[in-house]
Amino acid sequence: MKKIDIVVGARPNYIKAFPVYEALNKTGNFDLRLINTGQHYDDNMSNIFFRQLGMKKPDVDLSVGSDSHAVQTAKIMIKIEKEFLRKKPDLLIVFGDVNSTIAAALTAAKLNIPIAHIEAGLRSFDRSMPEEVNRILTDQISTYLFTTSPEAEKNLLLEGKIKKQIYFVGNTMIDSLVKFEKLFNCSDLLIENKLIKKEYILVTLHRPSNVDNPSKLKDVANSLNMISEKTEIIWPIHPRTWGKLNQYKILLNERINITKPKGYLEFMGLQKNAKFIITDSGGVQEESTYFGIPCFTVRDNTERPITVNRGSNILVGSDFTKLFDVIIECGKKEKRRNLLPEKWDGASSERIASIIINNIL
Amino acid sequence: MKIVTIIGARPQFIKASALSRAFREHNKTSDQKIEEIIIHTGQHFDENMSEVFFTELEIPHPNYNLEIANLPHGAMTGRMLEAIEVVLKDEQPDYVLIYGDTNSTLAGALAASKLHIPIAHVEAGLRSFNMKMPEEINRILSDKISNLLFCPTEIAVINLKNEGIVSGVHNVGDVMFDVTLHYREQAKAKIELSKWNVTDGNYALCTIHRAENTDNLSRLQSIFDALREIAKELPVILPIHPRTRQLLKRLDKETWLKSINILEPLPFLEMLRLEMSAKVILTDSGGIQKEAYFHEVPCITLRDETEWVETVEMGWNKIVGADKEKILNAYQSYDIELNKKHQQSPYGNGNTANKILEILINEKN
Repeated sequence: MKKIDIVVGARPNYIKAFPVYEALNKTGNFDLRLINTGQHYDDNMSNIFFRQLGMKKPDVDLSVGSDSHAVQTAKIMIKIEKEFLRKKPDLLIVFGDVNSTIAAALTAAKLNIPIAHIEAGLRSFDRSMPEEVNRILTDQISTYLFTTSPEAEKNLLLEGKIKKQIYFVGNTMIDSLVKFEKLFNCSDLLIENKLIKKEYILVTLHRPSNVDNPSKLKDVANSLNMISEKTEIIWPIHPRTWGKLNQYKILLNERINITKPKGYLEFMGLQKNAKFIITDSGGVQEESTYFGIPCFTVRDNTERPITVNRGSNILVGSDFTKLFDVIIECGKKEKRRNLLPEKWDGASSERIASIIINNIL
Repeated sequence: MKIVTIIGARPQFIKASALSRAFREHNKTSDQKIEEIIIHTGQHFDENMSEVFFTELEIPHPNYNLEIANLPHGAMTGRMLEAIEVVLKDEQPDYVLIYGDTNSTLAGALAASKLHIPIAHVEAGLRSFNMKMPEEINRILSDKISNLLFCPTEIAVINLKNEGIVSGVHNVGDVMFDVTLHYREQAKAKIELSKWNVTDGNYALCTIHRAENTDNLSRLQSIFDALREIAKELPVILPIHPRTRQLLKRLDKETWLKSINILEPLPFLEMLRLEMSAKVILTDSGGIQKEAYFHEVPCITLRDETEWVETVEMGWNKIVGADKEKILNAYQSYDIELNKKHQQSPYGNGNTANKILEILINEKN
């Protein structure tokens, strides 16, 4: 039986990996092993996925924890190499663009273990993002590249990858959304905060450029305060960001409802029922596109342009002082056309499983 | 300007010394001083890297010695990454300078990239197109995250272009050309050929070290049959690693052992001295094929492929594998074909270190 190692490390990984694991497991063809690097250790960000989604517990937990990018990458490489040497997998599957992705891929490449990268070819063309470096490097050493959009394939071909390595399969994260959509529920949270469906704005911000620098954080707070005068806001906030707000005595309007970070099902409920979303996250751009909820992405670039070209995402730039005006301006325009990107249909993992059976192993 | 140089193997020390020399010369006359900090990862333990190596070749001692060796690739790269990051955070350089294609190269590039320190890669763009070689992975990934890519040849530039890398790419020539020119005079002045009982242009130099030759008895026998033929008319000098010498015992015990002058591995300058005055060089080493060209000595390559295609295209190198007849054919036909015409060198003009220095300064300003 061919052996496949599936490596996950951070919250966005779990959502993408779960349906792929299920699809491969269902075939009964493979000896699967799920390795969790433990890059995120916060309960809300990891264990909850295994509990809420009924996802199989990892077979191996490397428990590397948080550290600088280099040290975290290094620790994963050192620990995961022992696992690879012990099991000698026939294929490694990695996801997305976190440190676990590149660390596992690099280690496997040196051991001549073929690598499949799911969500390959995304490019923001902004090298200052550590995720961009992880993406570029992982794609270079991957043998099989599974893409979510035609643009991704173009990016890969421009970097010298060849057509027969690339499989356009759609988005496995959407598979999870389709599968669990019925369970998405934020009713209690809305009641608790006295919010009404479709009459609140969901805010998620986590990029260091937005939440670490006090003067930027002040801009964020000012603009959210203004926006909240029109529509109430709910902002699940990282404790670190909350600490910064307090430390610098930055005041928030009472129409901004602060909560702790939420579990997957509750957070998806919040997205699905929002009037619109303000975010700097990659995953939320895709999820909001699936829900057809307008999403204002407060960044200067996106590695997921299909969410803008076809979906409901609007790239508004990273200047929070202009955010209020931009949103008002968008409100005046005609309703945007929201199309679901091709193959974002809940069957991407099945496609991957059949490609692995027929073309790879 | 502060530069951190990251190296770990003997050839990298030799290449980096050319840059260090250029920095020193620059500092004598310029107000814009360059401070170079050298990190030695310890990747290759090499008995030839004794104190003599540093003093004789005027190679600067490393400022940091990380002593990371004897680990599998993943663990080695990982440990280097951790340790290099600590140094880079302390030193806060304007550039990280990396060389070639070892684990030290990649670990240095990754650590710098994560800290957003600009990376300059010397010997960028070389490709074997064999992803099973760990060096190929190191090359490709280091190039991907480097900001300045110093290519030794036009072909390297084209390789990068095919991978979508065009910005920051400079064809500066081969730094080994600088190194060869620099030490050539020294070798000539210090070392007499009479040491080996040979005269200028009247001997063949041979090196064999690759597993494909040493571990394959029929290939090894075939190579030595050819060497024995050559030795009938020309002294053959063969510096050889003790491990390879052991393997020779498996060959037929024939008189050729007397006709070939088998030596211990030679220090850098002695090897250079022998290379520059040989009539012909037979080798399976990558670097020596190119050095033969720098010295304008015809080369016969005892491998089935080469990464230095330019030397073949210009007629200075013949790829013959381990076949006795092909080796002898190549040897006999060189005199007719090659009249030492001067072509445009594909490896630059031996001024690579200064070109790199100039670009580093311009980019900084």
